[in-house]
Amino acid sequence: MTLPPVTVPAATVPPDTVPSGAVTPGSVPPGTASSGRPTRRHRLTGLLLASPPLLLVAVFVGFPIVVAVAYSLGHTGGPNATVSLIAKDQVTVDAWWKQSLGAYTQLFADDRFRRDLVVTVVVALLTTAIVLVLAWVIALYVRLTDTWASRMLSALAVVPMFIPVVIASWAILTFYSSDGFVRSVASHLGLTAPVWGYTTTAVVIGLVWTHLPFATLMIVSGVQGVPDALIEAGRDAGASIPRVVWKVVAPMALVPTVIAGTFTAIGTLGSFTVPYFTGPNAPKMLGVDMADYFTSYNLPQASVVMAVVVFVVAAGFGVVYVWANYRGASDPAATEQS
Amino acid sequence: MRRASGQTLTAVLLAVLGVFILGPLIWLGVRAFATSWSYPSLGPDGWTLSWWQAVFDDPNLKVSVVLSFEFALVTMAVSALICLPAAYAFARFDFPGRRFFLIGLFATNAFPKMGLFVALASLFYTLGLMSTFSGVVIIHLLGTVVFMTWIPAAAFAAVPRAYEEAARDAGAGRITVLRTVTLPLAAPGIVVALIMSFLASFDEAQGTYLVGNPDYVTMPTQMYSLVLNYPPQVSAVFSILLAIPSAALLLLVRKHVMGGQLAEGFQIR
Repeated sequence: MTLPPVTVPAATVPPDTVPSGAVTPGSVPPGTASSGRPTRRHRLTGLLLASPPLLLVAVFVGFPIVVAVAYSLGHTGGPNATVSLIAKDQVTVDAWWKQSLGAYTQLFADDRFRRDLVVTVVVALLTTAIVLVLAWVIALYVRLTDTWASRMLSALAVVPMFIPVVIASWAILTFYSSDGFVRSVASHLGLTAPVWGYTTTAVVIGLVWTHLPFATLMIVSGVQGVPDALIEAGRDAGASIPRVVWKVVAPMALVPTVIAGTFTAIGTLGSFTVPYFTGPNAPKMLGVDMADYFTSYNLPQASVVMAVVVFVVAAGFGVVYVWANYRGASDPAATEQS
Repeated sequence: MRRASGQTLTAVLLAVLGVFILGPLIWLGVRAFATSWSYPSLGPDGWTLSWWQAVFDDPNLKVSVVLSFEFALVTMAVSALICLPAAYAFARFDFPGRRFFLIGLFATNAFPKMGLFVALASLFYTLGLMSTFSGVVIIHLLGTVVFMTWIPAAAFAAVPRAYEEAARDAGAGRITVLRTVTLPLAAPGIVVALIMSFLASFDEAQGTYLVGNPDYVTMPTQMYSLVLNYPPQVSAVFSILLAIPSAALLLLVRKHVMGGQLAEGFQIR
């Protein structure tokens, strides 16, 4: 189960969504101790206490990515020496100041890679769109009608969080396979349903299934944050429900929606398990390609080049996220509430 | 009239989402008790518990069960040791770059997972961490850093300063205040973070597969080969076994995850 937590401006998570047992969110900004300005020793202690996880991330996320980018540009020495010892078909440069895009041009010349890249991006966008629509429908049901049915809907959408991704992938494969539930039911009704097991359709289904809980939690809490008074004011002014949703609810829940969308897109770009289990042999998602090139084909450099390409695509999605976060942080309406 | 059509729509939506979400799980779960299954029957040909025996008797599978718990406990402990002091610092200290670092931790989640693991694996060859216990623990740790820092940080920040100051005024030292006031009040958030970290490690499959295979085969990575080499009923039994800890532990913290601590973790500033 991977659930990426993110920053959400306080306004999107109103105090009334916190269940009664839980403590109320802190309203005092940290560090503004009542005794005035923090001392130098105080700052140093803080930095020291905070440093272990920062070091972990720097050494095992930041550093490997720099090294990987260097490897993709032809630097096979230093930290890349061991991996490049037995690797096949490497592009190398003979001095540290030289760079070679040879590994990139080689990979992009490969029809199979270009096709897989396109499929990966399309699957990521499609999955994100479906997940956001589903999460919004559920969020609006929960916001506008507080009934047994709306609570059931939101509970159902969170179920996948409780199931490891490997199991979900395998379950989804058997459900949509040639002898699966969908085909069996159709056959009883005298119809022939398509076989979705080992197709890109199954990959999209699996990715929607696994990413729905996070998006639903984010968007439900965002939509719940819209005050009743605003919705009622809109209704009193004669606006229809769709108009109130579009003009009042949607703008206020924009930030959590963008966050949910960004993380769904990034999660699907780097997914391996779902496409490995449910997807076809061709076209493959890049997550599967990377693992195959690294372990089975002994082409670690090509694999690392793919990783860098995927990072660049993800950075594109990330820009939207950063923009939304800053927009949310500088929105006076958002700070006023908290 | 409008009300009736609204109710029909709700029923349809519930049914579709129900089949979409629960259908695959039930379809797989039933298989664990099936002698055989012939298409297009909607149920198994007969019922049996023999597949459960087969799983419990297989020494390979037993090893991976033990290994999964070892990794999850070690990861949880190391993650707590590294991250909890930091969580406290983020909540209670002001230091240069505090907000930048808090967001920086998030780098672990900002990169597509398989890309990050491939980059990490090439470095692991040089560091001698490929196919080692520590290598897998590091992979698992990366999946816990954000939970283990953000959720407890929000919990620490939520402890009213007035309580701590009252204890200080009564003459308690900083450590005593932390032990008797702050920690107990922040405990729910810390427990949620511990459980989420345990599960993140317990369920991690792709990184473990890349770095640990074939020497360290945990339960989730076992599934990769299981589905190819064993009858589907065995994978079904194994799936249920693997899902039990996740479902049970998450149900335990469900209330906090749905509306409390997790949402709070999102809003630390």
